[in-house]
Amino acid sequence: MTVFLQATFEGLSLGAIYSLVAIGFVLIYKATDVLSFAQPALAVVGAGIISGLAVDRGVPFWLALIIGIVFTGLIGLLVERTFLRPMVGEPVFSVAILTIGIDILLRTILNKWIGIDPRYLGDPFPSFGNFGSFDVSGVTLKYLEIAALITALVLIGILGVFFKRSKYGIAMRATSFDQEAALAQGINVGRVFGLVWLIAGILAGFSGFFITGGFNTLTQASFISALRALPAVVIGGLDSIAGAVVGSLIIGLTQGYIAYYQLPLESIVGFTLGSGFSLIAPYLVMFIILLIKPDGLFGTKEVERV
Amino acid sequence: MKKRPDLYTNYRNESSIFPTTFQKFWFGLLLVSSFAAPFILSSYWVLLITTSLLIAIASWGLNVVSGYAGQVNLGHGVFVGIGTYVSSVLGGVATTSVIGYELDMIIWLPLSGLAATLIGIILSPVSARLKGLNLGLVTLALVFIGSHFFSNLKFITGGAGLGRKAAKLTFMGIDLEAGITFGNFILEKNDFIYFFSLILCILLGLGVKNITRSKIGRAFSAIRDRDIAAEALGINLFKYKMYAFGISSFYGGIAGSLLFTLSGGVEPGSFSLLYSITFVAIVIIGGVGTVLGPLFGAFFFTMLPGIIQALLHAFGVGDAGFIFNPAEIERIVFAFFIIFFLIFEPRGMWGIWFRLRNYFKAWPFSY
Repeated sequence: MTVFLQATFEGLSLGAIYSLVAIGFVLIYKATDVLSFAQPALAVVGAGIISGLAVDRGVPFWLALIIGIVFTGLIGLLVERTFLRPMVGEPVFSVAILTIGIDILLRTILNKWIGIDPRYLGDPFPSFGNFGSFDVSGVTLKYLEIAALITALVLIGILGVFFKRSKYGIAMRATSFDQEAALAQGINVGRVFGLVWLIAGILAGFSGFFITGGFNTLTQASFISALRALPAVVIGGLDSIAGAVVGSLIIGLTQGYIAYYQLPLESIVGFTLGSGFSLIAPYLVMFIILLIKPDGLFGTKEVERV
Repeated sequence: MKKRPDLYTNYRNESSIFPTTFQKFWFGLLLVSSFAAPFILSSYWVLLITTSLLIAIASWGLNVVSGYAGQVNLGHGVFVGIGTYVSSVLGGVATTSVIGYELDMIIWLPLSGLAATLIGIILSPVSARLKGLNLGLVTLALVFIGSHFFSNLKFITGGAGLGRKAAKLTFMGIDLEAGITFGNFILEKNDFIYFFSLILCILLGLGVKNITRSKIGRAFSAIRDRDIAAEALGINLFKYKMYAFGISSFYGGIAGSLLFTLSGGVEPGSFSLLYSITFVAIVIIGGVGTVLGPLFGAFFFTMLPGIIQALLHAFGVGDAGFIFNPAEIERIVFAFFIIFFLIFEPRGMWGIWFRLRNYFKAWPFSY
């Protein structure tokens, strides 16, 4: 039971982190019809900025965190303005490949800076409690993971209010419904595109911190973790924010349970699935769910005409 | 008729592989010079050209499925990997950690292609069910699942970080590993791989050209342009998507089997996400849905490190004197090329070539 609770907790906090990246994916896809493969790169770039400021330059951590996240948002905005604006109206797949180009670009520059040794982010979480964690009846809870859960909940809440109440939130919903009709109603669609990338960048910045914070550290392979938000989005359906959150939780929990139960199960069935199976399990889940429901669990079914 | 090469009086002429004598002449010249190349060029250039040819074969495969049939495939590197490992197991030497059967090249070369084809056909029903981006994402999943298998099937691949030796080069009972002396010329192992790659490249290249002008090729284009309309015209989507994936993975497998024989060894980490993306980028930079495009793209990709090195030396920048090392510059330049070709020249290098050709065709008139 303790193992089960431990796996559930870790799975939920992973899911919360993935959901931040996943919501960014969905926002961009809904508003601009772009599937951005650059999101994982933005997440690690955010972490890199935080680490560079807090550890290398000695800026107080909380200030570095804010600067890092804001900067990630601005990089998102910049990417949209420079590379994606000329591609409005082009085939979805070309634009997706273009974001892969952006991803390679950002990560090559970042990897140069990271080097071989893992980078710490200089956050105070490892110093809390017993090396950053505390026990509740046998279950080890990490402060960083709790912070991730709370942050994700708060951000999702803020976004919910933003979409329902604010002027730009409503403009975004209108744009995602029909870009040209929104333009005809006097909505500045270009500004909405930029805003969406800004928000997605900020969300990526947060997730980047939680993926690499504490003892997780920032390495050249960190982006693979952020990329796992992609199966989450696909499971939920590319155009559903609720779906992105549910998909992220499914992916997070799958990963958590398999990490804890793979070895006991393998000793029962008698063959091994290989080390690191928990890391590719999300992709297998995505594979199966897509074969059953091609539009994801919550995605709207596309009506096609000849 | 002889005086007017551009006048076609029937469909057969227009759709022939080399419609004009001009093209026949230049193709013949290219053939002769490529067969003479190993006797003239240094081994460094032979190695580069061989790599380009093999990468071109793999890229043609991706172009069949993505460029002609319009089915997004981000996991082409996995099929290359399957080809590599089938050839390594059949043609490689067994050690304490990996299996190998030391078979003849005449067995492992076709089998590595066929094994990849089999996997491609098994996976093709997925593409019949999914479309566009979702298909792309599933093939992305294929990359991760593939590399998981590659690094965990240790008796085949040697395991992550260690790797194994690739297939031995024995052709029709003749051991080519040490090279053969003909009079004054010594033909080394890499020269033989060059000849094999060249012959394969010609055959498979003409094969692609042939597909495009056949019934299958027309069906592919119809599916790419509008799959529902194609289905309404009586094209069996399931069947033709299966063909597309089968042909594509065959090309990938064949290329993979020779590609790593060239370098001698193979490590599972080679077949990463970036490796698969490279093929997509080569097809885009070269020109989607063209025969020459992937060839251009493959040569460009293989020559890029050399070009960058030469430029760095020309500007007097040493390896240490610059922020980025050559490998990083190469990746950055590559990323920029993907971005700029997509924005400014979606038809790729083939598009540039096409406009250049037409410009000189009408010379001195610019219209």
